[in-house]
Amino acid sequence: MIEIKNLHVSVQGKEILKGISLSINAGEVHAIMGPNGTGKSTLSNVIAGREGYEITQGSVTFAGQDLLAMEPDARARAGVFLAFQYPVEIPGVSTSAFLKTAINAKRRAEGLKEIDAMEFLKLVKAKTKALGIADDMIKRPLNVGFSGGEKKRAEVLQMTLLEPKFAVLDETDSGLDIDALKVVSDGVNALRGPERAFLVITHYQRLLNYIVPDHVHVMTGGRIVASGGRELALELEANGYAKYMAAA
Amino acid sequence: MAARSDTAAAVKDIEAYKYGFVTDIESDRAPKGLNEDIVRFISAKKNEPAWLLEWRLKAFRYWLTLADLEPAWAKLHYPKIDYQDAYYYAAPKQKAALKSMDEVDPQLVETYKKLGIPLLEQQIMSGVAVDAVFDSVSVATTYKKKLNELGVIFCPISEAVQKHPELVQKYLGSVVPVADNFFATLNSAVFTDGSFVYIPKGLRCPMELSTYFRINEKNTGQFERTLIIADEGSYVSYLEGCTAPQRDENQLHAAVVELVALDDAEIKYSTVQNWFPGDKDGKGGIYNFVTKRGACRGKNSKIMWTQVETGSAITWKYPSCILQGDNSVGEFYSVAITNNRQQADTGTKMIHIGRNTRSKIISKGISAGKSSNTYRGLVRVQGKADGARNYTQCDSLLIGSACAAHTVPYIENRNPTAQTEHEATTSKISEDQLFYCLQRGMTEEEAVSLIVNGFCKEVLQTLPMEFAVEAQKLVGISLEGSVG
Amino acid sequence: MVATGLLDHPFKEAYASKAGALPGATHAWVDGLRQTARALLNTAGLPGPKTEAFIFTPVSDLAKIPFIPAASADDVDVRDVPLNVPRIAGASRIVLVNGVLNAALSDNIAVEGLRVESLKQVLARDTLSVKPLLGGLAASASLPLVALNTAYMADGLVIRAGKNFAGAMLHVISIGAAGAEPVAFHPRNLVALEPGAQLTLIETHVGLPGQNYLTNPVTEISLAENARLKRYVSVAEDDDAFHFATTSVALSAHSTFNAFHAGLGGGKVRQEVRAAFLGTGSSAIVNGVYALSGKQHHDFTTAMDHAVPHTTSSQLVKGVVDGQSRAVFQGRVLVDRDAQKTDARQLHKAMFLAKGPAVDCKPELEIFADDVQCAHGAATGELDENHLFYLMARGIDRDTARALLVSGFLEDVLESIGDEQVREAFSALVQGWLKRRAMRRAA
Repeated sequence: MIEIKNLHVSVQGKEILKGISLSINAGEVHAIMGPNGTGKSTLSNVIAGREGYEITQGSVTFAGQDLLAMEPDARARAGVFLAFQYPVEIPGVSTSAFLKTAINAKRRAEGLKEIDAMEFLKLVKAKTKALGIADDMIKRPLNVGFSGGEKKRAEVLQMTLLEPKFAVLDETDSGLDIDALKVVSDGVNALRGPERAFLVITHYQRLLNYIVPDHVHVMTGGRIVASGGRELALELEANGYAKYMAAA
Repeated sequence: MAARSDTAAAVKDIEAYKYGFVTDIESDRAPKGLNEDIVRFISAKKNEPAWLLEWRLKAFRYWLTLADLEPAWAKLHYPKIDYQDAYYYAAPKQKAALKSMDEVDPQLVETYKKLGIPLLEQQIMSGVAVDAVFDSVSVATTYKKKLNELGVIFCPISEAVQKHPELVQKYLGSVVPVADNFFATLNSAVFTDGSFVYIPKGLRCPMELSTYFRINEKNTGQFERTLIIADEGSYVSYLEGCTAPQRDENQLHAAVVELVALDDAEIKYSTVQNWFPGDKDGKGGIYNFVTKRGACRGKNSKIMWTQVETGSAITWKYPSCILQGDNSVGEFYSVAITNNRQQADTGTKMIHIGRNTRSKIISKGISAGKSSNTYRGLVRVQGKADGARNYTQCDSLLIGSACAAHTVPYIENRNPTAQTEHEATTSKISEDQLFYCLQRGMTEEEAVSLIVNGFCKEVLQTLPMEFAVEAQKLVGISLEGSVG
Repeated sequence: MVATGLLDHPFKEAYASKAGALPGATHAWVDGLRQTARALLNTAGLPGPKTEAFIFTPVSDLAKIPFIPAASADDVDVRDVPLNVPRIAGASRIVLVNGVLNAALSDNIAVEGLRVESLKQVLARDTLSVKPLLGGLAASASLPLVALNTAYMADGLVIRAGKNFAGAMLHVISIGAAGAEPVAFHPRNLVALEPGAQLTLIETHVGLPGQNYLTNPVTEISLAENARLKRYVSVAEDDDAFHFATTSVALSAHSTFNAFHAGLGGGKVRQEVRAAFLGTGSSAIVNGVYALSGKQHHDFTTAMDHAVPHTTSSQLVKGVVDGQSRAVFQGRVLVDRDAQKTDARQLHKAMFLAKGPAVDCKPELEIFADDVQCAHGAATGELDENHLFYLMARGIDRDTARALLVSGFLEDVLESIGDEQVREAFSALVQGWLKRRAMRRAA
């Protein structure tokens, strides 16, 4: 589904990613683990198309398309979703207006007719309930005044509504208590299926108890220094990153 | 922790203005009053070339047309200044030109010692080159030899006029034009001395350059003129300290400082100003009307102003940056403390002309006693300054219910890709913080000094080390008697 | 000494001779106010760029326009309220044409405890009841536009709500209309709420296209103890029109003033709101939005004067600028020596929508009391790139995302309007502006 080849990325002249290669097939869940400041968020931002990153080498192909040549909105409509580590607060823009606009952008791209207000409300209501999100949240301005947990739930709600082909979860577990973690993980697991791929970026293995990955990669110093199965995450939990830091 | 005990000790040590003493040296001074003859007298005394006399006369004649235009917009109240009732030139009498530091009048050296500027020891200890301005004439310049070898010119401006006329003529008045404002025009006519600095291409000046200003003569206005030029790719850090003896009358001080930074050059200009602020009832003290401006003329150039203003009865001062070169940077860090009946109206101007120019303003005002403290600033982004950025933070702290704090920013943006951001707060010293310190056994004065030092930290930490310690002490001293 | 920087002003003999009999002329105190105001105008003229309060919005250039008093323009006939003025459910309409109450277009107001009258009528009757209000809150001496109004005020509204009046919603519609010659009018409005009274005042200022007109309304508002006034003002004058409005509010103990100002059009517009906090526990919210295009000039100036302890002011103003327009925000907060425990907050944000506009801000804190919490912020710039990226990362195209964010930028302030029907009406005005802009861009 997504093929990252020898990706080198610099920020203001400083190389952050030093040759990342990663291939994720439909139906798979990959996890990238690593200490802070190793380029995990850079990778997620580059996939989503944020400005300010200079790609000096390599390629990212998504469903046969050159992802790096696409605008961020085109990537999203093609089925790439990033659950942000720090979702921005946008005063004045209501969550519901935002969600409706996003859903309709996708529907238009797929040649479907726009969703009407009633259908939209019904759809959102069903999903919010499953995620334990209060009804009034969608009336509030986007992410404004949301607690850390509410923001993360709202990200998963968006993912559920937009049904992406490939989702990147950037530190979605940070700042969550155990109950919220479970709710968020249930939301993600409900979307798992043979047509969909996930990349879960996390610092702790705790999240991976709930979203069980097929493959685990260790990232330090802008490189993937080890790959393996779920047992790799458990090993990291027991021994820490020290061994891999030396390798980088 | 060292800073805290230092400050506490300083507060205990010093009960009155520490620098209130008068050195008795026979002085050579011009008659009282101001007219063309005085301007000619000053110019002749300094053996100036004709062009400079003409320049002064042009300024003087223009100043005469400004008689009713002394700036009145600042939040300052003072009796009308009689410009005819002051001496415009006072130089310590000396027999002949000095050959070395050893020939400097020992009494002068003693004066500096009392001020805490050990001119002689300094050579050995601190690595600071000092150009001391005693009233109006620079008496000694240390470290001359070493600086000479590097190609740095650091001398009294009167000497630069003789030895480097091409540099002086090219840059004098190029940042602060003769007609800039009432006080700058006056200075242009009657300036007596000041420092001149030229840093050659590519040189990172290895030592801090420093000037101590001190007003000694009774009723002498002090009109220094400082000009600093940092040629391409060079760097210099310049320190200016000021003190004045205690007097009943008000003394006028109207200096002009011009900085020029060419391509990739950086100038860091730090001031600790503790002129005599007047007594508790507002008697005496310096009237400080200063025009300081830097031109970031070259691309990637940078000018950083840091000021700690604790003295003077009246402070009128806006160190500014003209950001002409693309990617140039202007910064202004200020602590202004007023106590008793002091009045300060100070701030900065950041004029964004070039592309991607950036400016940062951090201002901390502390008012105590019956004083008044105003931040006044201008951020102007011109139409061609694509991508310009400004960030301004102005915080005011009030100690006691009889003082005043004002914040008057002007923000003018003409470029859609530019961003300006201004934030200001005014509040009193936190009861919680105060209580916390008292509970740990500090006296109220110690606690206030400590908290205020914390409030100013962002500014104080931009000062060179030697200055930072002195500044921290000054914060404590300046606020004496403001609590309890 | 002749004040420098002040040009001549256009409201001298020629104008005065056409003003006709101004109301209240037979009362010495009214006449005195006018004489003083005229004398001030004649010595100082109209303020130019060297007058600090008008540095960004000089009005001395009005001298070039030969205005005639609106009352002497006999070729003006307005038969209907323009269609773009919203009908607000539950609100009684009061219509002023060129500053004069037009009974035919106004609703009949018969509510116990509420008196709505024309100033002209009141001054023809007994003037004593309005004496403390008229000129008592807005002083000619320090405010040149108030002096101009005082010299030539011909009519206006006197709105009085009795003790504990439970509330009503009035919609004042001011229509500016010039004929062959440019006209000027200077409505004077007096609003007094007795203790515990509540009132909601909506004001819509619109103009008919045509020659220049100048509207220079002054509104003096007195709020007694525990009175509550909500005032929502929208200005969408003709592109050539001048609109200078000054409002002065005096707040007694525990009274509240909740104001919202929308600036959506006019050649040169200044909305000046001045609040004096004279009773403890009083509070004011003064919020606003503006959206400018073409060569419009809009100035929002506020002055919050905290004179006694325990008072609160809060201001949030946001605006967008397009074309070659110019926005000005001046916000002054004054805390007097006695006004301990003042809480004063202010935030102004301006967003550029194009290359060409200019934004000038001058927030100002003047604090003489120590135990206070005062803060202001001012920001100018483009749309936040992080916001744009977030929306685009959800599949929303750049143009749609921008439109949504610009709308949200303004809606953020509109949300502070408590009355739903008013909020919707104001939101519709803003959305209408954004739609017209989108159409201009598409064209």
